[in-house]
Amino acid sequence: MTIIDDLVKPPATGVRPRGVSRREGWQRRLPLLPALIYTIVVTQIPFLVTLWYSFQNYFWNQPGGAHWTGVSNYKEVFTDPSFRNAVVKSVTMTAIAVIVAMLLGVALAVLLDKKFFGRGLVRTLLITPFLVMPAAAALVWAGPMLDPNFGLVNYLLEPFGVHHVAWLSTHAYGSVVLVMIWEWTPFMTLIVLAGLQGQASDVLEAAKVDGAGAWATFRELTLPHLRPYIELGILLGSIYLVNAFDQVRLMTNGGPGTETTTLPFFLYQKVNYAFDVGGAAAAGVVTVVLTIIVASFALRMFARVFQFEEAQ
Amino acid sequence: MAAVNYMAASRVYAKGTPPAVDALDLDVKDGEFMVLVGPSGSGKTTALRMLAGLEPLDGGRIEIAGRDVSDVQPKDRDIAMVFQNYALYPSKTVAENMGFALKMQHVHKDERDRRVREAARILNLDESMLGRKPKQLSGGQRQRVAMGRAIVREPKVFLMDEPLSNLDAKLRVQTRSQIAELQRRLGITTVYVTHDQVEAMTMGHRVAVLSDGKLQQCASPRELYDNPVNQFVAGFIGSPAMNLQTAPLTDGGATLAGTVIPLAAPVRAAAARDNLSEIVLGIRPEHLHLAAEGRYPDTAGQDGAGLAELTGEVLLVEELGADALLHVRLAGGDPVVARAEGRKPPGPGTRVTFRVDPAEVFAFHPVTGARLAG
Amino acid sequence: MTAVTAAEAPARTSRRARNRARELAAKTGWTMLGWVVGIAFFLPVLWMVITAFKPESAAETWPPKFTFSPTLAQFRVVFDGMGPYLEHSTIATIGSTILVLVLAVPAAYALAIRPVKHWRDGLFFFISTKMLPIVAAIGPLYVIALKAHLLDTIWVLIILYAAMNLPLAIWMIRSFMLEVPTEMLEAARLDGAGRIREIIEVIMPVVIPGVVSTALICVIFAWNELFLAINLTVTNAATMPMFLISSVPQEGLYIAHLSAAATVASVPVIIVGWIAQRSLVRGLSMGAIK
Repeated sequence: MTIIDDLVKPPATGVRPRGVSRREGWQRRLPLLPALIYTIVVTQIPFLVTLWYSFQNYFWNQPGGAHWTGVSNYKEVFTDPSFRNAVVKSVTMTAIAVIVAMLLGVALAVLLDKKFFGRGLVRTLLITPFLVMPAAAALVWAGPMLDPNFGLVNYLLEPFGVHHVAWLSTHAYGSVVLVMIWEWTPFMTLIVLAGLQGQASDVLEAAKVDGAGAWATFRELTLPHLRPYIELGILLGSIYLVNAFDQVRLMTNGGPGTETTTLPFFLYQKVNYAFDVGGAAAAGVVTVVLTIIVASFALRMFARVFQFEEAQ
Repeated sequence: MAAVNYMAASRVYAKGTPPAVDALDLDVKDGEFMVLVGPSGSGKTTALRMLAGLEPLDGGRIEIAGRDVSDVQPKDRDIAMVFQNYALYPSKTVAENMGFALKMQHVHKDERDRRVREAARILNLDESMLGRKPKQLSGGQRQRVAMGRAIVREPKVFLMDEPLSNLDAKLRVQTRSQIAELQRRLGITTVYVTHDQVEAMTMGHRVAVLSDGKLQQCASPRELYDNPVNQFVAGFIGSPAMNLQTAPLTDGGATLAGTVIPLAAPVRAAAARDNLSEIVLGIRPEHLHLAAEGRYPDTAGQDGAGLAELTGEVLLVEELGADALLHVRLAGGDPVVARAEGRKPPGPGTRVTFRVDPAEVFAFHPVTGARLAG
Repeated sequence: MTAVTAAEAPARTSRRARNRARELAAKTGWTMLGWVVGIAFFLPVLWMVITAFKPESAAETWPPKFTFSPTLAQFRVVFDGMGPYLEHSTIATIGSTILVLVLAVPAAYALAIRPVKHWRDGLFFFISTKMLPIVAAIGPLYVIALKAHLLDTIWVLIILYAAMNLPLAIWMIRSFMLEVPTEMLEAARLDGAGRIREIIEVIMPVVIPGVVSTALICVIFAWNELFLAINLTVTNAATMPMFLISSVPQEGLYIAHLSAAATVASVPVIIVGWIAQRSLVRGLSMGAIK
């Protein structure tokens, strides 16, 4: 079953598909309205404005304001190799970071599930990367950790034959992804750990009696049980990581060249350095469309679940 | 030969606490249906789990078919277990659940399917159910899948941990006989744990009564009923429970409700040996015969010679249809439960007289609980 | 039943001793692995804190110094400079979180307890806003903020942070509300409780721990947020993340100072996260996943 099977539980009481009086219907809608209206105003209006500006020629640093320019911004976006590069970088970085973080997360969750001395303390240490301010983490990794001349990482790797590597120059992509993984593994770990601890102990005992060793039990029983949790972790992690900005801005500034320029950073540059509101808007709209396409896969997950619930 | 032997097997959870299972000696014969029964905390489930290998032994040893399995992994003991909550694999279909152990043994798929189908047939599990997942099944169906999972393995020993306790009453009675019948047919040694003494009495070839980690008595149901070895077994076996009252000793017997119940000479001698001034008398509800019904115990003649009479007042009547249970306060103030005919039982407030055959009365040591029989 | 013989008694202890020894060996193995992993993940944070106590001269050395005479000089400079940033961060974080809770609790109620007819659509709508990247609208957002005179004010952050956290908060609080036993709700209804009473007396007590962990997660995301802050504020509403950036000067030694600033900026959320660990874990696994 996918995540949502277990997540989107139908409400227990009060679901009356028919026969809810008009007054009752409005009384039910009322508490939802503030959040709904707020969200529409604060998220949809900026999007509509973005759409509007995407058809305008509007540069900050030029006098004259905005004027209609049709689809020329879009033409630019589609022919701009740096936009395409930003999309590729965003997708690949997010995918790698999420997958590696989840693999590590599963391993660490299995570790934290076992009883050992100081387990609580180790868990406290392990969730810290998620709590640290990403901006702080980025700057600390860029400086005290990865600097070629005084970084801790180079010092620790010296015995292994690594000498004064300038990580942010020669391995910029990997360094940024590494920090993303470091920050989000705790999140994956905690979600998977919740799943592990929810497994019924007698089922595991039955597996023991049936002759399953540790690895067979994990593969045949635990992993299927963890599937909804893993999917949730990947979904949430992807949503947040695809928007990740701090690491790129503070570690590599998108460089060297455009090696680490992700979409958020690309848009940031367009607005703050090119002062190109129109261009940024068009790029933004295209980004949104791309995201919708990807998100429609998630939609399919939801839909399947809603059908399943209806059938119950 | 798949006999099971517990030899002074012990399990202590934490140092300094009393053992959960205290030096258990129990022999289960090959093909026997042995029931472990007792109240919660008696150690019966722990003893079963020790046999399964899910609990380590802290003392003694356990043998299966003459082989010491005390340090052997569960999967190498050739046993199959039915858990109380069934413990079915939620992500697997019924067929996959039942075939799981065979898959772990690398049995070929065709052979696996054959054995799964065979077990399903024995248990009346419809073919259409084989593709379903546990959460789509009813409680009774899940219970049968759990049993099927065990049968498929064709093990040396079946272990069952209160498999009926989650079923509703009617299904429980039905399934009880099915399990007993199944065991008779397959002939596999079975160790069955329950807290319900009715299950124990109806299903087991022999029943082992446990309390506080110690074995009280292991015998056939008949033997446990007729000759309980101590107060605990007497009070535990038989429904409704045996009436147990402390009674002071006098010449020739013990006093209850103002009447002297005669006790056999060996019993009195045993009491005297321990300088007892009182004993615990045990009378089963079915052995308190209502005089008004003109009933006499089978052992007595029609004239009622040698019987003791107890009088009392009815407090409450529980009508069960064929029988009625009378809650009576005897003349001396002691409460008892008696069984009477269901058709027209005496109502609350009625004065009643019971006839008791002393041969049907048990005497127990007031401190140790042991049966006084001389 | 036989009594334990003299020969069995030592057998009992030796078997028990063997079992315990085996358990201990396994435990030790996992302990070592656990601690290695824990320290490995914590190392950058540890290094950050250590470096914060160094004088600049000891911060950029090769090999990196592990022993030095610690000083609070960097912290002093940080505390001197961070005042307004701290104030803005606190207001933006607490303000947006309160706003989120005020909006999310009733909305979750409308999607969980006495649900709206199209609750599925509603839920999906909120989640969809999270999936659309805020980064796409940053240019126009800037212009809107400018025209509404909200640019570089604390309000723009409060409004946007609330919008950022709202979908997650609704989702989480909704799933906590679904945990309220239906019997409790039905009993309250039988007792004649109206909506308000139902919320206050039946639902809130059960849901408070969930609301707290939701609030914690909102606080974490709001406090740590950089992208919106850096684009929409300059000085009047600049937050701690921006203070951090400002401690990287164009020239000169700055690593120790940076570490101190990073430590101070991160410490509040770290401490809060540590203390409320259990609550956080529960919130992250969202209650509804069993």
